[in-house]
Amino acid sequence: MNKQNNKNKIMEKYSIFIVLLIMIIICSMLNKNFLSTGNISNIMKQLAVATILAYGEMLLIISGMLDLSSGAVLAMAGVFSVSVYKSTGSLLVAFLVAILFGVICNLVNALMVTNFKTPPFIATLAMQMVARGIALLFTKGQNISQLGDYVVFGQGTIGPIPISIIFMAVITIIIWYILRHTRFGRSLYAIGGNEEAAIASGINVAKNKYVVFAINGILVGVAGVLFMSRVNAGLPNGAVGYEMEGLTAAIVGGTSFSGGVGTTLGTLAGAFIIGCLNNIMNLIGVDSYIQQIVKGVIIALAVIWDIHSKNKKTAKVILVEEKSEGK
Amino acid sequence: MKKRVLCGLLGTVMAASLLSMSAFAEGDSYRVAYIARAQSDSFAAWLANEMMTATEAYDDMTLDVFDGQADDEKENAAIENAITNQYDAIIVQPNNGEAQRPYVENIVSAGIIAITTNARIDGIEGASSVDADPYAQAAVNAQLALEQVPENAKVVVLNGPSGNFHADKRREAWQAEFFDKRPDVEIVGEQIANWNKDEAVQYMEDWVTSNDTIDAIISMNDNMAAGALEVVSGKEEFADILSYGVDGTAEACLLIEEGKMTATCLQSAIDLAELNMESVHKLLTGEETQIDTDIDAVLITKDNASEYVEMYKERGLLD
Repeated sequence: MNKQNNKNKIMEKYSIFIVLLIMIIICSMLNKNFLSTGNISNIMKQLAVATILAYGEMLLIISGMLDLSSGAVLAMAGVFSVSVYKSTGSLLVAFLVAILFGVICNLVNALMVTNFKTPPFIATLAMQMVARGIALLFTKGQNISQLGDYVVFGQGTIGPIPISIIFMAVITIIIWYILRHTRFGRSLYAIGGNEEAAIASGINVAKNKYVVFAINGILVGVAGVLFMSRVNAGLPNGAVGYEMEGLTAAIVGGTSFSGGVGTTLGTLAGAFIIGCLNNIMNLIGVDSYIQQIVKGVIIALAVIWDIHSKNKKTAKVILVEEKSEGK
Repeated sequence: MKKRVLCGLLGTVMAASLLSMSAFAEGDSYRVAYIARAQSDSFAAWLANEMMTATEAYDDMTLDVFDGQADDEKENAAIENAITNQYDAIIVQPNNGEAQRPYVENIVSAGIIAITTNARIDGIEGASSVDADPYAQAAVNAQLALEQVPENAKVVVLNGPSGNFHADKRREAWQAEFFDKRPDVEIVGEQIANWNKDEAVQYMEDWVTSNDTIDAIISMNDNMAAGALEVVSGKEEFADILSYGVDGTAEACLLIEEGKMTATCLQSAIDLAELNMESVHKLLTGEETQIDTDIDAVLITKDNASEYVEMYKERGLLD
């Protein structure tokens, strides 16, 4: 019985990685280039922006919120960063400007959610419109080209490793550490699991919400720099729908929309599943329309899996409670 | 007391409305509404800006720009509002021609001058049109590619959004003017990148992985062509890759001048805006009653790219 329980627990905990592994095996059978170094590097470069956004979404979802503005804020922070670089020639200043604007927008989101009790869905939807509007107004709807050395962030390498992948790896470690090894990380789970219980246990919920939005802002700013430098242009209408890519990766990776559940490595695996899926469909020439259907089905399956596993957990809790009450 | 205040406010509003209406009626300015497809689309935004600039040449005409936000419902609502506001002329840049057709017909029924532009909606009696011919824009590129693309070449194709008139017509031109005449050419990758540079980057990265050689990038706009070129930039094995786009954007002209891109066809927002304003003025003054015209499909190659780079520099779009 115990052995069976342990087996179930392991399956539950590592199922996303098993799915990823099976997927990699199937993909490598479908196309001989799939496991080539060049292609793995491609997948990771393509994933960097979406994964960084996914970490922000994951932190917010774990604490019972979400961000629908990340794509638009990314574009706004990115075009400001590009413009500052073109004026000053300083990569550091340009990088900091992107982070600054990402954080400012997210602090406004936090203010709306925490102080004005606006549902995160509405607050961040409003921010999405405002940020996109500002990006378009600032650039008059035109792309900014001739970025010069700015492209180093998204296209440069340190040794054989692309800088964007290094960014992704470092951020993964930081987010993993925050969630696993800090009081703040544990607080997020508590807030998302049951906000009232978290308040009763002395957690400063409002402060934590501000901090988690600020972290999301930093991530969005970094993603903005990587995105614009990757395409070698300041695109005010770029990254449309990227918030959905981030949300999808987080949810496929096991982050529960109900809050209180989610892991860094799960989200990373979720991002890889989506990335591998996109990549293999392009490699074998699957039609654009079919690609959309497949991605939709994957998201639906992930949510069904999430609800199914949650129901199983709830059933177990009820069973344990009934046993302890001697029923 | 409250009622009196309310009556007073209502009276003031009505008087102000009547005054403003009579001011429009008595003024000698023609009021023109331009319903743009989407201000978030870089070409549409450029065209809207150029429309405003082109209007400045006419003392007897004012222009108001409205944003269709790439949404049929919103664009149709903007057309309805412009009819209600009794503009003298309404220029519509459709988001989706067939969705806007009945609303443009309503403009005509209301006795208001109607022009459809970029892309035109064909066959509306009483409506005029000013456009760039998307078939011709792709065809001039395709005809050049017939001579340049090597035998048994492998090419990739980047398409615009499905159902978009310009996207479909440009692809149709490539099929008829190039692929049907060159059965030796193999398409090793074809995807919809929705006019977007970032989507094109991702597709090209995957195609480069799965194909040892790619001889040409055939793109339905410059943004996607530039994105694909970004991926092979600096890679020696792709140094001779050919690439074709449409629009003649500042970035594409620069790439062509530098020898990185092969050709594009200018869809000049400046020319399109000037021709629109010239046409609407002729229609408003009664000089013409029906106009259907196109701007030229100018091919830009290394031979003439510098001319257009200079043009963009003068307009502040390039350093």
